Amino acid sequence: MIGYENDTSVLHGAHPYTPLALAGAVFCLVFAARSPEHVGALLAVAVLLAVLAGALGQALRAALAIALPTIVLLLVLHGLLGPAPYSFVGPFLISDSGFERAVVLGGRITTVLVATVAVLRSVSPARLVDAMTDRGVPFSVTYLLVSTLTLVPRMRQRAAGILEAQQCRGLRLGGSPFARLAALRPLTLPLILGALMEVDEQVLALDSRGVGRSPRRTALDPPADTEFEWLLRWMCLVVVVAAWTARAREWLL
Amino acid sequence: MSPVLAMRLVSYRYAGADSPALAELDFEVNGGELIAVTGPVGAGSSTLLMVAGGYAPRLIGGELGGERLLAAERPAIVFATPWTQITGLCRSVFAEVAFGPASLGWPEPLVRSAARDALAWMGITHLAERDPAQLSGGEMQRVVVASALAMGPDLLLLDDPAAELDPLAANSLYELLGRLAGRGAAIMVATPDLDRARRVATRALRLETGRVVADGPAAQVLG
Repeated sequence: MIGYENDTSVLHGAHPYTPLALAGAVFCLVFAARSPEHVGALLAVAVLLAVLAGALGQALRAALAIALPTIVLLLVLHGLLGPAPYSFVGPFLISDSGFERAVVLGGRITTVLVATVAVLRSVSPARLVDAMTDRGVPFSVTYLLVSTLTLVPRMRQRAAGILEAQQCRGLRLGGSPFARLAALRPLTLPLILGALMEVDEQVLALDSRGVGRSPRRTALDPPADTEFEWLLRWMCLVVVVAAWTARAREWLL
Repeated sequence: MSPVLAMRLVSYRYAGADSPALAELDFEVNGGELIAVTGPVGAGSSTLLMVAGGYAPRLIGGELGGERLLAAERPAIVFATPWTQITGLCRSVFAEVAFGPASLGWPEPLVRSAARDALAWMGITHLAERDPAQLSGGEMQRVVVASALAMGPDLLLLDDPAAELDPLAANSLYELLGRLAGRGAAIMVATPDLDRARRVATRALRLETGRVVADGPAAQVLG
């Protein structure tokens, strides 16, 4: 499951802002990168993040399940239908620029996916709340970010519960593709309605716990931060700004 | 002593509903009172608590009529479904219970002592380091009640707070509510558990179809 798991990896021990900053920098840079070499280098950084998060296996599985089919589709679209010049790759006549474009786009998707898995697995929502509270970030902003990070595991948990309940009521999941498609309806509707109800319940729960009654929450266990991590985060920002400045200059000139 | 809550001909209608869920409520709640709210299923007990605490219509919409004077500075509410009241933002039960006081911006030592006291009151100090999401229904209910108590509420609203508890834990909870009321807190408990309510409540309200049909000493109203 893609979500936070308790572990002792390097990124688990880091200040929550650090993996977020590293992954954020990778996201920004990979969309500034235009050559397959640059995208490849950033994919290597994303894989390194996954290793540091102890999530290499999960990242590779996610890449195989989600990114690989997309890459194949991109190669077909851009490689076979792209502009001249063409080269033979085995029996196929492939567009050179189309192939390069497919590699860049596919590399970007894979990079984002791998870095996302690394962040989701290593950033504890509770530690992130403590960290943001300690820095005086408004709770609404904190809650928005943490809810986003925990969305996937919560939806999966809810979907599993609904699936069990509907199976108890006689829902059959096997059979033809049409039957499988028809079985989606009794799962999807309760999932969406349940998620909406959960929002209402969470609002009540948080309001009854005093959220919003004081301008600043008290941070109980703010995670430790180091000068190295602080410097690393600022370096991420500097590199991103430099990369996008260079990209903007290319557009203008 | 001025009441912590006064309802003057209050009515409440859920958004989109044809008929009101509550009608012509007219009563006061004073500090030190422990009020049992009873009635058949659908009578409006849970809605009454939501309106009394100022949560409806502010958070859930709907239409409020009449005049509700909420003088309580720190109302707290506990719903019958504890799993919906776990914030999902805390890594330990201690942090979960401390969440409310921390939200109120109390100094850190005070937050910690309030959380420790609330855990002790509910007899769940041993759960302090557990993950709130991994608790049983009964444990979760006690954590949720502790979370409300930690905020030092002057008006405590509880909706069937013993629904998930075993008989011993339910007895302890009602005894604790009696002690808290004795210390000046105003408490309203919506409950079908008339036996336990009769033992500790000082007053009872009986609702039918959203209207108060009996309001008086618990021994008299609960029979």
